[in-house]
Amino acid sequence: MSEFHLTEDQQDCLEELINIAMGQASDQLARYLDTFVYLKVPSIESVDAKELMQTLSQQENTMAVVSQGFFGYEGIRGEALLVYQEEDSGRIADLLGYEPDELSQDEQLIDISSILTTTFLNVFARQIDNQMSYNAPKLLPSAKDNLSEHLQQMPFSWDLALKVNINYQVTDYSFNCNMILLIPETAITNIKHVLDRILAEF
Amino acid sequence: MSPSVLICDDSNMARKQVLRSLPEEWKNTVQMATNGAEALTILRDNSIAVLFLDLTMPGIDGIGVLQGIQKLKLDCNVFVISADIQPEMQSKVKVLGAKEFLRKPIKADVLINHLQQHGLL
Amino acid sequence: MSDFNALISTKTIDILPISEQALKQINSQIANQLNTGVLVLDANFNVIIWNRFLQIHTDKVVKNTLGKSIFSVFPELPERWLTRKLSTVLQLNTPSFCSWEQRHHLFELPHTRPITTDSDFMAQNCTFLPVETDCHGKHICILIEDVTDVCHYQTQLKNTLIELEKISRIDGLTQIYNRRHWQESLEQEYSKSRRHDKKLSLIMLDLDYFKLLNDNYGHQCGDMVLIEVSTLISSLLRVEDIFGRYGGEEFAIILPETELSGAIDLAQRICNIIATTELIYNEQAINVTVSLGVAQLSTEESNYEELITQSDNALYQAKALGRNQVCSTA
Repeated sequence: MSEFHLTEDQQDCLEELINIAMGQASDQLARYLDTFVYLKVPSIESVDAKELMQTLSQQENTMAVVSQGFFGYEGIRGEALLVYQEEDSGRIADLLGYEPDELSQDEQLIDISSILTTTFLNVFARQIDNQMSYNAPKLLPSAKDNLSEHLQQMPFSWDLALKVNINYQVTDYSFNCNMILLIPETAITNIKHVLDRILAEF
Repeated sequence: MSPSVLICDDSNMARKQVLRSLPEEWKNTVQMATNGAEALTILRDNSIAVLFLDLTMPGIDGIGVLQGIQKLKLDCNVFVISADIQPEMQSKVKVLGAKEFLRKPIKADVLINHLQQHGLL
Repeated sequence: MSDFNALISTKTIDILPISEQALKQINSQIANQLNTGVLVLDANFNVIIWNRFLQIHTDKVVKNTLGKSIFSVFPELPERWLTRKLSTVLQLNTPSFCSWEQRHHLFELPHTRPITTDSDFMAQNCTFLPVETDCHGKHICILIEDVTDVCHYQTQLKNTLIELEKISRIDGLTQIYNRRHWQESLEQEYSKSRRHDKKLSLIMLDLDYFKLLNDNYGHQCGDMVLIEVSTLISSLLRVEDIFGRYGGEEFAIILPETELSGAIDLAQRICNIIATTELIYNEQAINVTVSLGVAQLSTEESNYEELITQSDNALYQAKALGRNQVCSTA
């Protein structure tokens, strides 16, 4: 497994890229939602498959998980999981500018997830001269029991996961979710090439 | 004469990026800090003319450093370089005394341009 | 960055091995053969392009469609919601999606397959893509996929799973809860009572001389008796009571928020109704009786099994005292 681990420099470089992407994504979101989005330092961890299973199974109150595939040039692809806690979902419709009866709770979660994932990954891709396409987001059924099952049944075996904790505070209301980017082995190798290319410029 | 410069960012890559963008003659008088607390110590004990400051850092963040500079009544040109680019944040750092808000990733020509505008070059 | 998607690419035209004209023809023929609806809107949500799939399935006239607002062409669309969705695509420059699982369909299109489903319309997955042009600004491409068969089979699967779930809880003969589910329920009720300091009582009951009945009248008669007795008992219970078949001719009832006197009272009524109801098998009248043991949760028990043991002991006592009666632990 260790060959997939990032070097200290690669990790630092990736974190900085994610930081910048997160900043630009929240700027876009703030304009779109017409409110100030307070962005906390996103904590970024890279974890291997085994660790992630453990972390997620320890996580209580997981209410919903929305998954969305992404794929770009140079073999960079993976799946983004957005993990919500029970208390975070109350006012998403409000936040998105919908009337509560216009869309179901499930649809609200899927919508906000898709917006978070695609705005973030679009900016991220642009920074590494890439461009992303996306699958339709999918709400995983009853997250608690099925998350690890889902992870095991993924069409590709993934070896590294980037766990990005996102905390969006929106003026009078905050919501938290974890974005987890699952990346398969071949894509990691490709990402490392890209990171090395960026690092070589210094 | 090259001024004393401090670069404060928790990311090694971001620090290097700023360093690389500086005028050649400045590069040998640069100090580095990896967080807000380190930066404040260096600022207090040295006379720093130009500070390049990241905002989102663990512990004391960029806003904390700006408040510290005001409290210590230090005369220092602060250029905030941040990924958090929302207009509200930009005006907040200006109120706290920052000369300029520059968005990440920093480009050499943009940085030089701003240094010239503030008469530092 | 090289663009490998030659079919829709304009950047790579100079390296294409065919003429621009040929490319256009190929593009349009493919778009019209697709089994997916393609609809392109301008930034004011007017329909600019639609493909053959939509033309055929909507049965609309071209001149009433092109250049017209999507909401006047498709009045069935939820206008406020879709406007917000389309604005998101334009503003954030990101794709957006709508799955049949959340909204069965957006566009009222007939089925393309003769499958009987709950809806008259084609189930759809819709994708909204931002599309930018050099001279005409931002557009939105809507892709409409027919997922009627996916929807159909998924719904079937879901119903089957619900049915299976139910079957796994029910005793096939008597249609009351089976032992496994009954015991799980008791475990839950036990911890609920402990947590909220609520009363909980239990009745265990057993048909008297059931082996003899089987020997004299045959197993089919025995089965009939089990079914009839279950029905009789069910008719006396509240919705919150949990009634299960514990073993061959042994039944058990969980009575949440019920104290001993109430449980004894119910047990007595069960005892009476069964003893006084004549069951008919092959035109013969059969009389059966039951013995019942009642127990209430006290501070003593440290698990739910102990409550079963107590009711069982009371039941044993009722049997020993001559059957067709109720005994309790108190």
